[in-house]
Amino acid sequence: ENISDFSLNITDCTQVVVPEEVFFTVAAAGILENLLVLIAVVRNKNLHLPMYFFICSLAISDMLGSLYKTLENIFIILCKMGYLTRRGDFEKKLDDAMDSMFILSLLGSIFSLLAIAADRYITIFYALRYHNIMTLRRALVILAIIWTFCAGSSIAIALFSYEAATVIPFTILFPLMMFFILCLYVHMFLLARSHAKKIASLPTSTVHQRTNMKGAITLTIFLGVFLCCWAPFVLHILLARFCPHNPYCACYMSIFHVNGTLIMCNAIINPMIFAFRSPELRSTFKKMFCCAR
Amino acid sequence: MSALRLISNRTSQQASSNSDYTWEYEYYEYGPVSFEGLKAHKYSIVIGFWVGLAVFVIFMFFVLTLLTKTGAPHQDNAEPSEKRFRMNSFVGDFGRPLESERVFSRQIAEESQSLFHFCINEVEHLDKAKQSQKGPGLENNVHFQEVPRSSGMFEEDVNCLTKFNIPNFVNTEQNSSLGEDDLLISEPPIILESKSIMQSSHRILD
Repeated sequence: ENISDFSLNITDCTQVVVPEEVFFTVAAAGILENLLVLIAVVRNKNLHLPMYFFICSLAISDMLGSLYKTLENIFIILCKMGYLTRRGDFEKKLDDAMDSMFILSLLGSIFSLLAIAADRYITIFYALRYHNIMTLRRALVILAIIWTFCAGSSIAIALFSYEAATVIPFTILFPLMMFFILCLYVHMFLLARSHAKKIASLPTSTVHQRTNMKGAITLTIFLGVFLCCWAPFVLHILLARFCPHNPYCACYMSIFHVNGTLIMCNAIINPMIFAFRSPELRSTFKKMFCCAR
Repeated sequence: MSALRLISNRTSQQASSNSDYTWEYEYYEYGPVSFEGLKAHKYSIVIGFWVGLAVFVIFMFFVLTLLTKTGAPHQDNAEPSEKRFRMNSFVGDFGRPLESERVFSRQIAEESQSLFHFCINEVEHLDKAKQSQKGPGLENNVHFQEVPRSSGMFEEDVNCLTKFNIPNFVNTEQNSSLGEDDLLISEPPIILESKSIMQSSHRILD
């Protein structure tokens, strides 16, 4: 029987380790990709539209997430090499700052996705009035409000993470936002379906059954990617708060670094499914790279 | 994340040794966990979570696929390309704002026609007084090949035509056929010939 205080039993769930090289590569790829999106939008005057500003906001929050992980990695390496102590005051403050950056990134991602979905919703259902409803100025104001709220919440959560109360709203916000975004997109979908039906009933229309799948695939990819990348981490926070001593929970928490890598993968995938689907942005990229050569 | 450190603020156990991997910075302070007498597999939460997530995503996909079944029979296109119903290319242009130079191309002109109908139907919901004031000026605007950016006539229509930018999240193929990806709000049937377009627009606006 192994009843030892030093829990190094064979049956233990040891931390699943992600190699540093993988971590750095994934983080760097995420940062670079999102930086490219930002530069492309800034440089091309045609992309100064509310839709692209929201995509930029998503790119910024992804960049923050990857940046957080990179800094944390560097921090740990410095601790290992002895340049920083683990219990010092400065390190704790730095730690808190990095935690708030991470929460900022998560909240920013959620709200950016919500803004993108709302923008598309308005584009489709209020198309003619879209340019009056969603002016550039309003879009910037909305983004300012979102980021101020996220910054305030992240600082508050990081400072008050001792309390249970901070974890619960954080974990409720996540599925709530997901559900709301899903509702917006499903409504858009239903409209598209009804119009497809009407168009298909015309004598001169061409309907290919296979394209019916495209919208479903796109939407599933959107929400599926976000869910698969962020939900493991959110569950981790819940379990760490409520059952840290349960062996099942402890085994789940041992894959913490895999969850962190997933979040960085989300930073890489998001530009592909949002930004790069725009032909204008793609042509801006080509111009950028062709001029660079 | 070291917020977790604050949740379990134990310093009694230094489970971490220097020979351990660097990742164990402050994450091992959960204290000793007994792994004896486990009824289920120790990774059951991990497996259960991922299986549940996969099932949910697949379920969502099937629900969305069911929603998109149009139920219309497959029809072959025997029409020549000029008279071909150009909704598909309109659908494919979602991601691209209609810049003024594009309006001048013939292909886009046909798209603009369908767009115009789309705009017209929304116009019906707009203020009547506004429409009647600008009614006479419509003739200038019906020539899609020359629609100016700042005609002032139905500002929203013109904006709609020149800067319409529906997000391309459902379909980005240039020549994709119509599926549920069509996001027009116009009511069928949509007449393609320019003459009847002018007539109908006059009718609506007068």
